[in-house]
Amino acid sequence: MDIAVLDKLRAVVGPANVLGGVDLGPYVVEGRTPEAALFPGSVDEVRAVVEIAAGAGVPVVPWGGGTAAAVGTPASRAGLVLGLSRLSRLLEHEPGDLTVTLEAGMTMAALQSALRARGQWLSLDPPDAERATIGGVIAANASGPRRHLYGTARDLLIGVTVITGEGVVVRGGGKVVKNVAGYDLPKLFVGSHGTLGVIVGVTVKLRPLPDEERLVAIAFDRSKDAGAAARAVMASDLIPSALELVDAEASRPLRLAVGPGGCALIVGFDGVADQVEWQCTEVGRITRPLGGHDVQPLPAATWTRLASAARDAFDSPAAVMRLVVLPAAVVEAMEQGASAARQRGLGSAWSCHAGVGVVTAVLASRGAPPEPGPIASVLQDWRALARAGGGHATLDWAPLAVKAAVPVWDDAGAAGRIMQRLKASLDPHNILNPGRFVAGI
Amino acid sequence: MAGLDGVRKLQLRRELEAVVGRGAVLSDPEELLVYESDGLTLFRALADFVVFPTSADHVSAIVALANREGLPFVARGAGTGLSGGCLPAEGGIVISLMRMNRILEVDYDNQIAVVEPGLVNLHLSWAVGPHGYYYAPDPSSQQACTIGGNIANNSGGPHTLKYGVTTNHVLGLEVVMPDGEIVWIGGKTRESFGYDLAGVFVGSEGTFGIATKICVRILKKPQAVKTVLGVFDRVEQASAAVSAIIARGLVPAAVEMIDQLTIGAVEDAFGCGYPRDAAAALLVELDGLAVGMDTQATRIVEACRDSGAREVRTARDEAERQLLWKGRKSAFGAYGRVSPAYMVMDGVIPRTKLPYVLSRVNEIVATHGLRVGNVFHAGDGNLHPNILYDPRKPGEEARVVEAGAQIMRLCAEVGGSISGEHGIGLEKADFMPFIFSAADLEFMRRLKHAFNPTGRCNPGKVFPTRKSCGEAGPVAYKPHPIEEKGLAQRF
Repeated sequence: MDIAVLDKLRAVVGPANVLGGVDLGPYVVEGRTPEAALFPGSVDEVRAVVEIAAGAGVPVVPWGGGTAAAVGTPASRAGLVLGLSRLSRLLEHEPGDLTVTLEAGMTMAALQSALRARGQWLSLDPPDAERATIGGVIAANASGPRRHLYGTARDLLIGVTVITGEGVVVRGGGKVVKNVAGYDLPKLFVGSHGTLGVIVGVTVKLRPLPDEERLVAIAFDRSKDAGAAARAVMASDLIPSALELVDAEASRPLRLAVGPGGCALIVGFDGVADQVEWQCTEVGRITRPLGGHDVQPLPAATWTRLASAARDAFDSPAAVMRLVVLPAAVVEAMEQGASAARQRGLGSAWSCHAGVGVVTAVLASRGAPPEPGPIASVLQDWRALARAGGGHATLDWAPLAVKAAVPVWDDAGAAGRIMQRLKASLDPHNILNPGRFVAGI
Repeated sequence: MAGLDGVRKLQLRRELEAVVGRGAVLSDPEELLVYESDGLTLFRALADFVVFPTSADHVSAIVALANREGLPFVARGAGTGLSGGCLPAEGGIVISLMRMNRILEVDYDNQIAVVEPGLVNLHLSWAVGPHGYYYAPDPSSQQACTIGGNIANNSGGPHTLKYGVTTNHVLGLEVVMPDGEIVWIGGKTRESFGYDLAGVFVGSEGTFGIATKICVRILKKPQAVKTVLGVFDRVEQASAAVSAIIARGLVPAAVEMIDQLTIGAVEDAFGCGYPRDAAAALLVELDGLAVGMDTQATRIVEACRDSGAREVRTARDEAERQLLWKGRKSAFGAYGRVSPAYMVMDGVIPRTKLPYVLSRVNEIVATHGLRVGNVFHAGDGNLHPNILYDPRKPGEEARVVEAGAQIMRLCAEVGGSISGEHGIGLEKADFMPFIFSAADLEFMRRLKHAFNPTGRCNPGKVFPTRKSCGEAGPVAYKPHPIEEKGLAQRF
């Protein structure tokens, strides 16, 4: 990058808020070191940074907590890291409105703690809440087990302020929970991975904290039975807040005793005390005839460990893939996927949000050959499995050599062409996180 | 329509008939009249053709013909919209989806249904009801409005407080793009990848393309339902009760407010059991598990009492519950008892601003020498002030329009929005700058351009650059044809 450009950027954010050289270590992604990392202190500074970068043709990589920084197709140029950590204030919280407006760099943990003090919460529970920022969570569309009942960022985000690739402040949505004025811009930024705008501020819907919350595990000797039990719970009167399945491998880090070929069904409930109590009993009654046994309450700490259970099954995974299928097809995907790995002599661990059909598959590196071929073959099998059931798969994490062999993103087909037009129309200089997203965006 | 002479028009009619068949193309002025308005009769515009396709291929072929001729086109459902969104503002072809009304697939295991856009909203709930399921978004026009129209407007309804609006229930759509290409955006799975095209398509008011198949979530019917009626002597008390309910950690399925004028009209018309002398009534509905329902209902009752309710009662049985809801849902029709005409407003405010905004609305309307009835979704701050007037009195309608604009400005000033569920359409295009900057609007224009580069798909809507909108200026209220037939209520 031109030294004159860097000087201009330094002048905008102040030298103390520019990192270079060895300080860039935490911002190295897939071996690529950014040209600089900048931490603007206001929306206007973010605007000015993007404007200067766009003028100089330097790519901008919006950076929240960095928890999803490695997601995506490897970048051809690292560009400038634009860190939002100094934009971390809670701006407006009127409990009676059940909404909160905040800056994008606030961490999920800080937000939830501020809300909890006033009896409310944002019903979104992505992993790594201490590091993950609200802006990053929205850009990466991160979520957790409670999405079963409460949905994802798209259901909660009602207003967004972004800086476009041309350095313009744009606001979409608003501060009210119901709003159909103009196009639904907030939806556009959910899961856009920083490619359409730098999210600087958001307004989200809140919920009152439930009186009680509980998590229950039920063991099954055969994963098919666990799948049938998950479906039975879905078809029942119960209103679980989470409905998870973890296979035997992924059960280990959760300290659940599940035999080989078995599965644990983990169900969360919240609400007033007698509702939670009744449902915990009822879920045992419904699932026992289907082969469920050892119904046990889990400690509250397990909630945050559910998302990483499959990853935690192995010391160093070879790859992590996310398969999205129809909810009724999750167990089939898990069984066939594990079998596809076994056929190539590889271990795998599986967990899923059973009620929404989102499956996390982790391939073990133990026993894997150094060359990426067999790993890539398994991943391709997994993707084919998802596609066969009308779904899709994203390679959430893999070494570069594997990413070279297996595309990170699925083929978006004709919709991909609309996405490309959208990107070209909204980020005409192609400055925002270029080359990392779906359809080459 | 400029440039379309008699010979060309006849030729085009034949070509359209070759696509959809005879009997599925209208071009006689008398027949076209039925389609000159939607539920907001303030605006009118005549199409050159109204065409009734029965498949996505038909829609695609019609769009191709329109593009070849350089004609605008607009999709239309039941025509119950309230912002002029489906009017052929610049002439051209109205593509009516009313003959594409099938339920193509219901998958109870996965709790989804795939339907055609012309399916009437309520018919989906009827179809899946016997299996214990329903489709959650419930606009008050749900007996007549179509799911395709709901997609265009991202429709809400009383129960969206707890369950969300249309966009929260749509997983994917087959869309005929403005260039005629048939594309799936989103899918049947709960999550798609790449940009959330389905998410931006919903609520785009027919300007991004025409949905021909829609995959929606269906929900399990709740085990139990309880409806509480709070009666208040002052509107501010009812407003305070809304906040008090939320402060007690409850998210009811619905919290609706009905003011005195509206209660009077409803009681005259239907006798639903609302006390006429009350300043306002709150209709609060809880649903979910039978266990714990009483605990929650008690909290609602307390919240109402603590806010000064003079009476709080729980519907004893389903019949009483239905009667209370009938009063709420028929309120718009009941205004006919107290006024020859009315205009329904739609604005949203932060819930905590209810007392201030309601009193300001009354002031604004009174200043214009008019009366207002309020019946609205108090739980999510979605106001529906209905300004009553007599179109035969000279100048009165103009005052209604002026008062409406001031109410919209008020909603914007308190941090709200100019539409909660009726959309922008033609009606509010000029109000968009109340809440959006020039840069915001430019960004939206570019978004539209990515879907609809020629602008032929539903031109003249959403953006404050109105070229033509049928007749200049507001015209007298008249009932919509489907209203006259008793098929729909104004909402």
